[in-house]
This record gives sequence, C-alpha cells and structure tokens, in this order.
Amino acid sequence: MLAGRVGALVPGVEARRQLADPGLALAFLAGAFALAVFVLYPTVRVLAYPSLQDYLSIPHSVRWVQAARNSLLSAVLSTTTAVAVGLAFAFATTRPDVPGSRFFRAVALLPLFAPPFMVAFSYILLFGRQGLVTRHLLGLDVNIFGPHGLWLVQTVAFFPLAMLVIVGVLESISPSLEQAARNLGADDWQVTRTVTLALARPGIAGAALVVAISVLADFGNAVVIAGGWPLLATEAWFRMEGMADLRGASLVVAMLVVPTTALFLLERYWVGRKRYTTVTGRGGRLERPPTYPPLKWASFAVCGVTSILVLLVYLGVVAGAFTAVWGRDWSFTLDHWRLAADRTPSLWASLRVAAGAGAVTAVAGILLAFLAGRPLPLRRALDFLAVLPGALPGVFVGVGFVLAFNRPPLELVGTPWILILALAFWHLPLGYQAAAAQLQQIDRSIEEAASNLGARGLHLLRDVYLPLLSRAFVEGFTVSFVRAVTNVSIAVFLVSPGNVVATFAILNMIGNGIWGGAAALTTMLLLVTFAVLAGARLVVGRALRPAGVG
Amino acid sequence: MNAVAEGVPVRLEGVTKRFGAVLAVDSVDLHVPPGKLVTLLGPSGCGKTTTLRLVAGLERPTAGRVWIADEDVTDLPAARRGVTMVFQSYALFPHLTVFENVAYGLRVQRLPAAEVRRRVMEALELVGLPETAERYPAQLSGGQQQRVALARALVMQPRVLLFDEPLSNLDAKLRRRVRAEIRMLQQRLGITSLYVTHDQAEALALSDVVVVMNQGRVEQVGIPEEVYRRPRTRFVADFIGEANLLPATFWEGAVEVASYRFPVEQEEVRDGPVTVMVRPEAVVVSQDASGLPGVVRTVFFMGMTTELLVDTPAGEVLATQPYRADRRIVPGEQVRLRFEPAGVYLLPAEDGRG
Repeated sequence: MLAGRVGALVPGVEARRQLADPGLALAFLAGAFALAVFVLYPTVRVLAYPSLQDYLSIPHSVRWVQAARNSLLSAVLSTTTAVAVGLAFAFATTRPDVPGSRFFRAVALLPLFAPPFMVAFSYILLFGRQGLVTRHLLGLDVNIFGPHGLWLVQTVAFFPLAMLVIVGVLESISPSLEQAARNLGADDWQVTRTVTLALARPGIAGAALVVAISVLADFGNAVVIAGGWPLLATEAWFRMEGMADLRGASLVVAMLVVPTTALFLLERYWVGRKRYTTVTGRGGRLERPPTYPPLKWASFAVCGVTSILVLLVYLGVVAGAFTAVWGRDWSFTLDHWRLAADRTPSLWASLRVAAGAGAVTAVAGILLAFLAGRPLPLRRALDFLAVLPGALPGVFVGVGFVLAFNRPPLELVGTPWILILALAFWHLPLGYQAAAAQLQQIDRSIEEAASNLGARGLHLLRDVYLPLLSRAFVEGFTVSFVRAVTNVSIAVFLVSPGNVVATFAILNMIGNGIWGGAAALTTMLLLVTFAVLAGARLVVGRALRPAGVG
Repeated sequence: MNAVAEGVPVRLEGVTKRFGAVLAVDSVDLHVPPGKLVTLLGPSGCGKTTTLRLVAGLERPTAGRVWIADEDVTDLPAARRGVTMVFQSYALFPHLTVFENVAYGLRVQRLPAAEVRRRVMEALELVGLPETAERYPAQLSGGQQQRVALARALVMQPRVLLFDEPLSNLDAKLRRRVRAEIRMLQQRLGITSLYVTHDQAEALALSDVVVVMNQGRVEQVGIPEEVYRRPRTRFVADFIGEANLLPATFWEGAVEVASYRFPVEQEEVRDGPVTVMVRPEAVVVSQDASGLPGVVRTVFFMGMTTELLVDTPAGEVLATQPYRADRRIVPGEQVRLRFEPAGVYLLPAEDGRG
C-alpha cells in the first residue's frame, strides 16, 4: 500500500525495485525485445518503405483511388447490413420470448469458425452461375462475382462480431430500467425505443467499428468473390504476386492501415468509455418485460433467413466435397477426397505452423500480460504494442514480415518460422487479453500472501500465476491455432515452395476451378478446427471462439 | 401538486402469486387507508416485494383481486393504474439528464413542453434538487439519485406511490435523513403509499401502519407501537427489535419465569404455559433480593448504553442498560433481573410459530 503510493509519486522507484530482480528484468527485456522486433519493426518497415514521392502520388493513380474507394464503399455497405443483422440476432438471443432464441445464438457463432474464404467459396457453389440454388433449383443465370456478391458474403461472415458486441451491451441493461419506464406509462414500443435501443446505441457504434475493421481487412472472401473489382486488401497481393512490386504492395497496405487503426483507436479509447454503466446499486434479478410483438417477429424473420444462409455455407462446401462435377454431374463420389489426400503434406504443414503460432501466442501473451500488470517502466507502451496487431490487416502483417525479414540479420523468408512468427504476433492480442482476463481474476491478496511468505519476482510467476494461468495458455493457444490453421491473408505472402499450407493450396484449387478438391480439403480443415476446439473445451470447460480481423 | 390531494384506498383481496412451484404470496388481504403510508416489513423472500409489484401491475396475481380507489385494477396494465414506483436500484435512465428522467413519464403522455418544464421543476424543487436538472445520474451522489427517483415518481401525480426498499443502497446516516424527507413529503402531499423494507427501524419510524410478512403470509398488521409492544407471534417479536423469549407459566394474573413471579396485565391469556417476551431495555439489572437470578457472562460497551448477556435458569437474557460511570458491571457478577411491564408481552407457549 505504502510502497504503491510512493511508487506513484516518485516514478521509477518502484520500477527500479522490480527490475532489481534478475529474473524479472530478463523477462522484461525478452518481452520488450519481442514486441520491438515482431510488432514494431515490421510496421515501421512497411510505412517507411515507400518514398514520400510514392505517398504523394497516391491521388494521381486511378488504380489506387479506385481500390480505396471500393474498399470504403464495401466497408460502409457490409458494415451497415452486418450490424443490422447482428442487432436482430443480439435482440433475439437476449430475449427468451423470441421463438428459437437459443437456436439463433448457436447458429450465429458458426461463421466465426469458418476459414475466411469459406463463405465466398460456398456461395459461389450455391448461388453462382453453376449454382445449385440459383441455376438448378431456380433456373436463374446469376453472376455472383463482384461487389454485390462480396456484400452478401461479408454480411454473413461478419454479423456474428456485431452480435457479440451488442449482446454484451443488451445484457448489461438492467430490467428495472425497462420496468421503470413501463411504470411511468410508456408502452412496449416506447420502452424499446427510449430505453432499450437508446442504451444500446454505444454498443451498436462499437459493433460497427469492429465490423468495419474486419471488412476492410477481409482478404479471403474478397480474393475469391470480388472478381475484377479492385480492393486495397487484394490489390496488395496482386502487386506482390503478379509484379513483385514491393513498393506498390507496401503503399497499398499503408493506405489500408490508416482507416483500420483509426477505427481501432476510436473503438478502444472512445466507445469503450462512452458505454453507460446501467447497474446502479443492487437488486437486478428481475425478469424482462415481454418483447414488443412487431419487434419480436421482425427479429425472428431476420434471424430465420440469416440462419438458413449460415447453415448453407457449411452445407454447400460439404456437398461440393462429395459431388462428381459441380454443375454438370450431381452423382456422389469420393474422388475429391483422393485428390485432397494428395495434398495432405499441406495439411501437415498447416498443423505444424498453427501449433507453433498457438504456442508462441499463448506464451508471449501470458508473459506480456504479467509484465503489463506490474509497475515496470514502459508498461503502457508494452500494453499498446500487445494490442496493436488487432488494428493491423493480415495483408499488412504479411507485407511487413516480407520486408522486415528478407535480409540479414534475421533472414527468415523461405523458412516456416516467418509464417509462424507472423501469425503468432498477429494473434498476440487474443493471447494477451485471455491472459489479462485470467490475471484480473487472481485476487491481489493471493500474490500478497505469497510475497509475504518470501516469494519474489519470477517466483511469483512460477508459483502463483502459472498454475492459475494454464487455462489462459489453453485459451490463447486454441484461438491462435484455429485462426492460424484457417488463415489466408498472411499465408499468401509468406509460404515458400517447401511450406505450402492447406489454405494456400485450397485458394489455388478454387482459382483453377478444382472445386471438388477444394471443398474436400476445406472440409478436412473444418474437421481439424472443430476437433481442436472440442479438445480445448474439455480442458477449459467452456466453449472458445476465434474472433477478430481477417 | 402542493395541495393535499384526497388520497385513495388500496385493497388486496385473497391475493396469491405463484412462480412455478414457489408460492411467493399466499392469499394476502391488505388494506391501505387513503393518504396513509403502510410498510410491508419482513425478511428477504417473504413476498413483500412481490406484493408491491402486484399493486404496481408489474406482476399479475395467480388468484385474488387488487382494488385501487374502489376500482378493480387486477387486469389493468401497469401504465394505466396511476401508480408510480421508486425502485431499489433507483432505475434512473443513465442516458438521460435529471430533467429528462423526471420528464420521461410526462413526455410519454405527450404533454405540452411548457407544462412538462413547469411540473418537472416543481418536482425537483420538492425534493430540493432544482440545480441538478442538466446533470446525468452518474454525476450525482447516491442520496441525490434517490431523490431524483422520488421526483420522477411524484411528478406523475400518482394515486398511489410505491417504494421498493428505496434506502437500502444508502449509508446509515443518509438513510435516516432521506427517510425523514420521504415521510414529510408523503404527509404533506397526502399520497397513499406502500413501502417495502426489511429494516424494522425504518418501518417503525416511517409508517402509519406496519404489515409484517413471513413466508408469503401476513403475520400481523398494526400501528408501529402495537407491533413492537404487542407482537402476536414469536416471529414478529423476534423480527422487530431485539426480544428475549423465555418459557414461563401464567396463572392468576401473574407470570412465573423460573423462580421469578411478577404480575402481567394482559387480556385473553389463559392459565398455563406461555412464552414471555421481554425487550432488552425493559430488563433492570440490580443487586436486589428479588428478581430472576443470573450470572453476567459478557459485557458490551455501546456508548450511551451497555449490553449485558446474563445466564439465568430460564435461559440467556440480553439486557440493555443506560451507561453509568459510577456502576460498572463485570463478567461473573451475580445479579437479579426484573422486567418492566411496558416491555413485557405474553405469547402462546413454544410451538414454533405461536
């Protein structure tokens, strides 16, 4: 208590005392070094790579301006619809009197587990020119490639993020507020409008920011379904792949990182504070009044239609894996699985990379969360760098790692390590936040008791925290693993001939029209994902879900 | 609003409320006279809050009828009952200013802006907070939030005002002050009020009538003095204030506790075994020859008073004595206890609930 106060008044005293512990000092140096090399350095490399001239030329390049405009347009459109659908789901799942409430909640989480290109791929199979639904059931000739297809796909892919944010806000609204409004004479619609929705407004704003970041950064769906419509996220890859134009690629991702970082900071430092704390005092265990019927049925309708679309995502891909020639020969076959079996080396590569990334994310996340919780120098900087990757699009990290590690002293290009480290540090915020949440649950008095008995510095970490943090490790590992095994946005920049990962192989198969094989390999990837999630659930006793930018 | 309105009565007839298998309120009959403040007092889970919410229309009774001003409101929705409520958690809208909070119900009724403004400011002045109008609830202290909640309920000029443990989030000193303010306002405005609390001191200080509830049923109804001095059951005796409950025998106008026999004037007591309730402040501790003999076990200094725990042949007795610097009682001392009639009441003999 006294030590804390003195430390606050005289900066550095407490910090110096902490760093006098050699173990803690070493851990601090390791954490700071890792963040500097794997987060800060690639970021600076990308931003510094183009010359000032390059930056100034942006407004004069028709291609850049068009890509930027398209990215912003799709962000506005997809965010609007995704948040609207997310709001309907949030409403339906927090009101038990909406029919199918629990079913909708389960279905809404499914898109979070799909590889980032899967919604687009499945909708091409179902709603494209050869689409099972459009062509063969309805007899229509529909071209799904282009901005409208992307809009639909991104709405389905990202509404769960909006739902999760809004659910959190709706659940925190005390039922007594709704009852007070009713008691003062408000009818159902007035209660909903002036209390429920009014209080949810900051949550809706926060959801919009989170979704907009993901839409801007979305590479997997865009590369599969946007067709010739240029977007910043896909343009970066085309520059690199097609033209080996590092300067152009870094310029594009630098353009992309400006809005995503701005949205990220806005979400973290503005909306995060704007939220109303509606819990004043005790006595919140009241029932919610019944839902306004028109709203109840409207949200039921939106959720019903969207749920069908979500389930079709999975159905389309699995059907594709067992269909002889999609669009021509609908007979059952196992041939695609033989083709997919040929690509099992890529599946193994995926598992190795994802396991490595998961382990690094979990360990680094725990270490940094522990360090950020102590009165050390630079702890605010540590905290900022640990959450910053959440603002960076995958393509930005991909380009950044190519630029940062394609020459000595750290020449990693061509090894599996570059992909492992890129994914690990891109997912760092997930591991860091999981660990920080666990650390917060550890009562300060436990630590004080241990240090009162003589444990210091790293001993505290080992004796007190580690046993309690094994849960944080499993969470960090699992979430990072699942996202790594399905990642495309970084993988496309960092795979080398010896280390082709499954998602990269799938993307190539889709590009070459080998739909059956791609569907089979995607199905295998899904099985791995769900197996790992089920295993983690057994260990931590609760369901985990990966969520965040694409 | 300042004129004393003609209060309306509230009546509950055989009201029962079940939540699934749980019987929250068990055929309660209740009468709140016009313009009076009646408290529902009892431990948590006794059904008092549910009873209040039944009057508010936030719950529908499983059986029985609710009457307000001789109108059957059982099937009337909450908004049409002319009843407003002060919630335990205040339930102030965090996204609205104090003014907008108080104006909420009036705006729902689409009253002209000028009238809304006049009535809101009147209500805020009534609770002494006109200067907070433009602030948000989060910027107010707990006591201020409570008074805004009161203003929001008063501004509707309700026929009946309901209070759901409105003071339980305040600290002890503040509670006393707000309690006095609520009572003064209620009497001045003459609004029929139903007030739920688990704090017996609050109930005694505030009420015209106290209704003691236990396990969904009404145990006793009476003015505060009556439920304190003449509790009908062990539960009431024990719940309201401190009570020593000692086994005794009654015959020929006197009661005998162990060897100590003293006269009791109480009607309708039959000869035989009884339970005698003695308030701690009615116990006189002395070195006299007469009285119930006992040995002092522990002594607690409480400031103006001293509390003694005395072991007697009839059981343990708690005694509250005025503090006297010249007379120190110490543990182990042999004493005699006498009981003053004002703090003594006979209950039926030990049988659980009496």
